[in-house]
Amino acid sequence: MPVRVVETSSPSQVSGTTPGNTLPPPCTLLSVGQAFSGTQNVSSLQKDEAWRVNVRIQGVDLDHGYLCGTMEALNVPMADTPVVTFWEGEIVDTKNYTFFTGKWGASAEDDIKHWTKFPSFSLLQSEVEADGGKSLDLSNYPHIFMRWKEQYFVNVGTDCGLTIAGFYYVCFSCSDGSINGFYYDPNSSPFQKLELKSTNDGRPGFSFSSYELQ
Amino acid sequence: MPASAASNHPSRPEDLIGRLNSSHTSCEAKLKALRDLKNQIIGNRTKKLAFLKLAAAPSVVGILSSSAAAAAQGSGGDNREFHESVLIQSAAVIGSFACGLDAGVKAVLDAGAFPLLLSLISHLNEKVADACARSLKIIYQSKLAPKYDFLQKKSMEFVLSLLNSDNENVTGLGASIITHSCKTTMEQLTLSEAGVMKRLVGLLGGSLAQRDASLEALAAVIKDNPEVASSFIGPENGRELNVVTELLNDKYPRTRLLACMCLINVKNTSISYLQDRGIKNKLVLILLELLDDIGQVGDEAPFVLSNLITEKEDMQKLAFDANVVEKLCKHLQKVSFQAKCLQGIFIALADLCSKLECCRDRVINLTVINSVAGALAHDSAEVRAAACIFLKNVSRSVKNLSAGHFMNETVIVPLVRLLCDSCASVQIAALGAISNVVVDFAAYKPLFIQCGGVKGLVQLSKSMESSIRVNAVWALRNLAFLVNNRCKEEILLELSISTLASLISDPEASVQEQALALIRNLVDGTMNSIEYLFGEDGLLLHAVGRQLRNTSKPEVLIQGLYTLSNVASGNEHHKVAVMSQLCPQAGDNTETILVKFLQNSSRQLRTAAVWTIINLTLPSNPGASGRLTELRNMGVISRLKDMVNDPCLDVKLRTRMALGQLLMLGDAST
Repeated sequence: MPVRVVETSSPSQVSGTTPGNTLPPPCTLLSVGQAFSGTQNVSSLQKDEAWRVNVRIQGVDLDHGYLCGTMEALNVPMADTPVVTFWEGEIVDTKNYTFFTGKWGASAEDDIKHWTKFPSFSLLQSEVEADGGKSLDLSNYPHIFMRWKEQYFVNVGTDCGLTIAGFYYVCFSCSDGSINGFYYDPNSSPFQKLELKSTNDGRPGFSFSSYELQ
Repeated sequence: MPASAASNHPSRPEDLIGRLNSSHTSCEAKLKALRDLKNQIIGNRTKKLAFLKLAAAPSVVGILSSSAAAAAQGSGGDNREFHESVLIQSAAVIGSFACGLDAGVKAVLDAGAFPLLLSLISHLNEKVADACARSLKIIYQSKLAPKYDFLQKKSMEFVLSLLNSDNENVTGLGASIITHSCKTTMEQLTLSEAGVMKRLVGLLGGSLAQRDASLEALAAVIKDNPEVASSFIGPENGRELNVVTELLNDKYPRTRLLACMCLINVKNTSISYLQDRGIKNKLVLILLELLDDIGQVGDEAPFVLSNLITEKEDMQKLAFDANVVEKLCKHLQKVSFQAKCLQGIFIALADLCSKLECCRDRVINLTVINSVAGALAHDSAEVRAAACIFLKNVSRSVKNLSAGHFMNETVIVPLVRLLCDSCASVQIAALGAISNVVVDFAAYKPLFIQCGGVKGLVQLSKSMESSIRVNAVWALRNLAFLVNNRCKEEILLELSISTLASLISDPEASVQEQALALIRNLVDGTMNSIEYLFGEDGLLLHAVGRQLRNTSKPEVLIQGLYTLSNVASGNEHHKVAVMSQLCPQAGDNTETILVKFLQNSSRQLRTAAVWTIINLTLPSNPGASGRLTELRNMGVISRLKDMVNDPCLDVKLRTRMALGQLLMLGDAST
């Protein structure tokens, strides 16, 4: 019998997950070593512009709602080499982090304005607006919401003429490993869109490496 | 400075020993020689060693023995007084040799001092009893002192008789014997039931020496024993606990330290005792202050602190907020540290950095990492191991690994050297640190190889000791994570395919797991790295397949299956090779292992199984349709269809992804 491949998950649906666990689920496409590539639109009123971007996940700690990695911007004007930054991410899990940023110059209004740009947020919006989404069960939700904040430049000095003052609102799709994001920095063009897809290092298939800290 | 005439013009050690040993020396001269000896060795380690070399310990113990016999024969008057003076002086010399010097303790014990001193603590002359008890107490500061078995009635009666004595040195001796000997849960319970705790609490009201000895003994009896701890607190509604808590304010640093130790042992046994923020903060602040103490208290304070914060994130945060990291780092940067002190500081810093990123950041900002290099090459094995454990914990920070903070010659060269350490515990600690440090994301991994790191790890991967083997392979696995092909080839060259194949079928499952995870990383990355698995007639590929068929341990299966899945992400030839490993072997009528993996209770194994199917059936590959037919015939596809609502979201989504692919391949039944 043919089976319809349709997403039916909703945030309140709990099936087969560990009782009491409401954290976002582990997803192999968002595990250490995974790579993504795509673009960041940095268009301004003056001109249309997009930078090619590569991302690599270096650390994931779901219990603490933490992940981190590097972001490489490839065709940055005025930069001789690709610019690599290290970022740390907060996973919105309602335990460690909520949808409200509460820092980095982002108000609750800014938060809602950005989250609502992700279609997958619409199912959560009313609860988030009511109580910050504190009682949401995200353990079976096929999207993972995060904030990524760049911490330092890896291969260039701070005098490179670039800024990492802002942060990204990010939505990851557990289904296909795609990442959408919006850069937020009150001093930069608003809603710079980040679009990334899972890459396979040129392989006809998916490969997964791993490390384990002691 | 008070000094005897003799100490102004000290005799040559040989002469002094000659006078002690000679039968021609008069009684008075012998007594004087004992006094001279005592004055020369007090607090002087070098002198003690020099006299021990001249066999001073047997001479003094001999004098103690003959004087004890003479005194016992009942000679009266001046003669008795003289013998008792000799007993007092020779006991004091024995105590002096034993004080702070294990070689001294060993020498006096070997010379037979212990039973003699023990028999004299009940001497009628209180001064004799006092001197002997004091010396025994000193001997009991050393781990070499004889142990008592409190499960034996006689030992228990003896220690109770000591604790009930009127002589404060004798009661102190009783407490010291408990501290030294009480190690098992059963002994703790037996002592508690015999009323020892009550007596020890009673002694807290005595002299300083009694108080300190009792606190230490209480800590030993309570340690890791919830039953004893609750009986300690229970009967009088915490009166005993309050007595100890009061001593946190004592004016003597050692008393404060021991009161902390005692309370921490109570606290660690239960989640309900001493858990309010006030007392937690107080303990941290007292220990913070005691870290500054010069001498034994300052040396021991980091160990007590470690006991307070180990494995407890909330306590580590309190300590961090109280600037304990800064204080420890400041002490570390002072020169000329005793081994014990260095060890304690590294252990406490390791605990602080075990969980909290803020502590690791602070340690790195305070440039402590440079001080580690010296400690890694320290004479003391305990210090070397503690420095490794510290390095292991501080390098749990992915942020700092990504910044390449650990992969530099200052750290790597001494760390790699420790792989050849003569002490196995140091080797294991070094392997733990290396496992983390080599995760390095900053492309400095070749440095580790240049420093001989791979050679050392490969050597230890062949160790007879399984705990060394597993840690060595673990380090190689982390080194192979996201590394370039050149480094992978160096690892393989050094390790050899045949050794790696034998590690896959190591007797220990944990070694098998790490070996398979290492291969999984080796075949990740650029596509040509998959070929490593096909060298020597596919020895590794067959070993992986064999392990997947033979083991039932999920953790081993997960790594093995991800290895095959990574191979299946390669070209047609690779995918065909994976199929041959997954298909039932000739003559084997059982179902394919892939069906078993899809049904396994481990969600990670199910996920790996579905990824393998996805890689084998990518619609763009020419052989995908043929493999789909084979998988269908093996019962894999029908099993997969049952998994569209798997309780694990990742498995569910991957299953749907796989079924979507099958639809594209024209699988009508999908």
